[in-house]
Order: sequence, then C-alpha cells, then structure tokens
Amino acid sequence: MSNRAFTEVSGATPPPKPWERAGSSSGPAPFKPPSPGSTSDIVEASGTAKPGEVVSNTGNTTANNSVIARSLPTRPWDQNYGNSYGGYGSNMNYNTGYGSSMYGGSYGGLGGSYGGGLYGNSMYNRGGYGGFNGGSSMYGGMYNSNFGGPMGGYGMGGPYGNQDPNNPYGPTSSPPGFWMSFLRVMQGVVNFFGRISILIDQNTQAFHMFMSALLQLFDRSGMLYGELARFVLRLLGIRTKPKKLAQAGAGQLPGAEGPEQRLLEGPKAASGHSWDSVWGAADAPKGFS
Amino acid sequence: MPVFKTPFNGYAVRFSPFYENRILVATAQNFGILGNGRLHILDLNPSGGISELRSFDTADGVYDCAWSESHDSLAVAAVADGSLKLWDAALPPSANPIRSLKEHAREVHAVDWNPVRRDSFISASWDDSLKLWTLDRPTSIRTFREHAYCVYSAAWSPRHADVFASASGDCTARVWDVRDPSSSLVIPAHDHEILSCDWNKYDDCFLATASVDKTVRVWDVRASRAPVATLAGHGYAVRRIKFSPHHENLLLSCSYDMTVCVWDYRAEDALLARYDHHTEFAVGVDMSVLVEGLLASTGWDELVYVWQHGTDPRAMP
Repeated sequence: MSNRAFTEVSGATPPPKPWERAGSSSGPAPFKPPSPGSTSDIVEASGTAKPGEVVSNTGNTTANNSVIARSLPTRPWDQNYGNSYGGYGSNMNYNTGYGSSMYGGSYGGLGGSYGGGLYGNSMYNRGGYGGFNGGSSMYGGMYNSNFGGPMGGYGMGGPYGNQDPNNPYGPTSSPPGFWMSFLRVMQGVVNFFGRISILIDQNTQAFHMFMSALLQLFDRSGMLYGELARFVLRLLGIRTKPKKLAQAGAGQLPGAEGPEQRLLEGPKAASGHSWDSVWGAADAPKGFS
Repeated sequence: MPVFKTPFNGYAVRFSPFYENRILVATAQNFGILGNGRLHILDLNPSGGISELRSFDTADGVYDCAWSESHDSLAVAAVADGSLKLWDAALPPSANPIRSLKEHAREVHAVDWNPVRRDSFISASWDDSLKLWTLDRPTSIRTFREHAYCVYSAAWSPRHADVFASASGDCTARVWDVRDPSSSLVIPAHDHEILSCDWNKYDDCFLATASVDKTVRVWDVRASRAPVATLAGHGYAVRRIKFSPHHENLLLSCSYDMTVCVWDYRAEDALLARYDHHTEFAVGVDMSVLVEGLLASTGWDELVYVWQHGTDPRAMP
C-alpha cells in the first residue's frame, strides 16, 4: 500500500466528457435518480452491501433466473468443489449393494437412478437428478463396465438429496475437508496410473499378436515357396528325393540340386540341420538322459 | 500511423481520460492460456511513434485494464488469476502494485471504472459474478451474482452514477443498479454467448451487445423485447463493442475475424469502415475521448495500432 491517499475522490478530474455537454436525446431513462455521496456510502445505505464476499466456483444460487428456461449443463472443466461431496462419503462403501443400512430404512435402493455407465465417468459430475422416492438414493458408478469401475460418478446420497446444486431450497454445503480433497487427489493419481498401465498392457498385447502373425506368415510363405519350387522342378523333369536327401547328405547329389533342395525342404526334413529340431536336438539328450 | 510491438499477445487497449496521447495496453503470454502478463503504459510521440512510458509485470495474463477516472496515473488490471491489481505510474516499481484485490475464484475478464462518480470500478469474472470496488475500502463492497455462466464484460452507464450493464455467457445481458438487491433488467439478447456490451454515450437508454453469433445488437432499455438494430457483417464472434464518445450513432467493434469495424447503427448501410490490419484475432479496441476519431486496437498478433478514423492503420508516417 502506498502512502498516497486514494480515499478522496477529488484527486484530479479528467477533462469533461464530450457527451456531458449535450443533453440526453430520447427522454429519461427508466432508472431511479442517482444518489449523492460516494459509492461505498450509497451501497451501504441501500442495505445491499456484502463486503469482501468471496466467490466460490460453485453453482448459482440465483434468485432472478426466470429468463433462462433451463439451467445450463455443467461444463466438463467445472470442478464444482463443495457441492457434490455430500454423496461422496455415502458412496464409499459401494460394495454393500442395494438397500444398505446407511439410508436409514428408506428403500433407497429401489428407486435410485443409476449414475453408472455412460454418465458415471466424470462428465456430469453433478450427479444424477431425480429418482423415484425423493431422490434419496443415487448409486453412482457401481455398474460401470470394464476398468472404469469404482471411478464412476459420485452419487447424490444423503437422506434428502439436498446436495443437488440446482435445488434452490436446499442448504449450501460447506467446502470439502482436507481428507476429502486428499482422497480425491489420491483417487485421481490411482486412476491415472491405472489408465497408464492399461495402455501399456494393451500395446504390448497388440505388438505381440502382430509379431506372431508376421512370423506365421513368413513360415507359411516359405512352405508355399518350397512346394511350388518342387512342383516346377518336377515339371522340368528333375527328380527330387526329399526323403533320401536328408539321409544322404550334401556330397552325393549333382551340383545345383543339393543345397537348394536342402534349403527348401529344410523345415520339413527331420535332419539335424533343420530349424525344427534345433532345440529338440539339443534338449532331447538332456531331457532323457 | 504508429505501431507498437508488445512482447505478449494483446488483450485490451484504453485511451487515458486525462492525456490525449497516453494509452494503456493489457497483454498476456501464450494467447492468455498460460503464462505471464504485462500492462503497458504507452505514449504517442508528436513525431509519430509510440514509446513505452512504463510497464508492469504480472504472474498471470492480463485480460482487461481501465484507467482511473480520479487519478491520472492510476490504472487497474484484470488478471487471470482472479485478482485485480492497481498500478500507479507515478510511483517507483518497488511500490507497485499498490493494491492486489483477490476475491474472484476464477479469471477476471473485464473491468470498468465508473466515469460519473469516479470513485469505484466494477469487475466481471468467469466465476459468474461481478464485484463492485472502491478505493476507500480494502475489500469489495458488493457482489452481483445472477448470471448462470461466465461474465465477460461490464460497462458503467456514462450518465448515471449507479447503473451498469453486464454481458455473460449465459446469453443474457443484465442492467444493474448498485442500490438494488437484484438486477433491474434482463435482456436475453442473443442465442449465443455475449462477449461485450457498452452504453450509448449520448442516450443512456441504448445499450449495445456483441456476441458469438457474429452480430452486434443495439437495445433500448425501455423496450427490450426486440433489438433496435442488428448489425451483421463480422465473419466470426464479435469480441468487443464501443460506442463513440463523440457521435451518438457510431459504434466500433472488433472480432475474431481479425477486423475492426465502424458502424452507424441508425443508417441504412450500417457498416461504415472495415480495417483488416491485424493478422490475428483483434480483441482490444478503443476510441479516444479527447481526440475525435482517434482509434486504437490490439490483437493476438502482438501489435498495437493507433490511427485516425479514415486512414490506413498500417501507413507509416
């Protein structure tokens, strides 16, 4: 704060505005005549002053909202701390199922509208609306599919469902305590890592399947090539002796035929050179001896 | 005409009510989404350039600014962290800001100083409320909460010390009297969000609103069922609207279609001039109270233009 006194209004006056020299052209405005004095005195005299009211970012307790036919839906970025926590606590034991004792003997479970499924996932975090018996039970998010399970909506619990932010008659709820916000943060962290791990898992699986399919394709195409080559060679009149080849070895057959045949027939031949028996040949003696 | 390059993206510009060559510019880094902000006080040199007199840094973007009507060196800035900061150009940087008023829960999007009684200003915020402040109180005097969505703009009546208007994202404009507990008038002015409003300086019954639906509408507060005029011509949302301080029918608007337009809302052919000197969204515009026809604009291309109506803003002197 400076020492300069800003409290007196007559510090300086700007040059008169151009419009102050002219009169109003189309009759009087429908306002009460301005009051003399300073703004703060006038507002305090009118009884409407509420000094230093801190605005929380919660819903609008609006009195004169008749022009807007419907209230606007909550924006996804609207965190509205402080009004959906009434239901949060009651949603903690979401394993208890219907009609648990926390609802004080009301048949809460029967009439509840479910916040699960599509809506449970944080877009509409003001909870559900309505329900049959006075909105006394909203089970949020218990019936989500998949991994989303317990991170579903925060049901609007409580005996009277007054935490609904659009209910102008209900009392305003207090901001959340430390543990509530802490748990909420923790839930967010767990949620986040859960999503990350699911992502990695799915990626690994996809990569694995892709690779095995690729290897299988190579395997099959190699065999196809072998069969075709054998067919062509037979057409050309060159006799091949696949079974004998494996037993006979390389040196016996004429030049071009030997290595080619051996390569082509490799996978099928049960010789020590084929890939099929690479591991088997090594393992068998160990395993059986 | 003179051009000034600001380091950040421009958000608002205001001519001083005391000095005809002084302007105030609010800027925010990274298009106002994230980062610092800066408030510039610029002087137009007689030789034709613009030089910086002072600049004030803030930790968050500055979305709007207003000159005090009671002290020639005092200015208020609406900061994106929800605070309003008062700066005095006559004091050394160590003494600034002289006040930091933090009551809004979210970004403050507009601020306007009462030009009639000159001791108070109003702030409009994204927490759906407006707040009234005076210099002799450390906290706000009153909070106006009726809007159902972000309040984007507020404007004091130029002739009535207790009346102001607000424009909101809930598609309504409201007229308020600071002595009344609730708003005096609700105008469901557009089908889309309303970004700005201003009063006619010569006829305090007329109010203009600018909206995302690309139009500007002029309303009579005595008969607010239908608009007096609808000005179409912008290609995108109209960001700011100002009535001329010198001519009753003249309006100045800027838009996300990167143009600044001058309108005569009573004329048959309403669009008088279109300036397309900005290469990014034009978001700040003002008309000088002291020099007739002198316009200023700023935008996300980080440039501040000051030019005389009818000339090319880009023409160098």
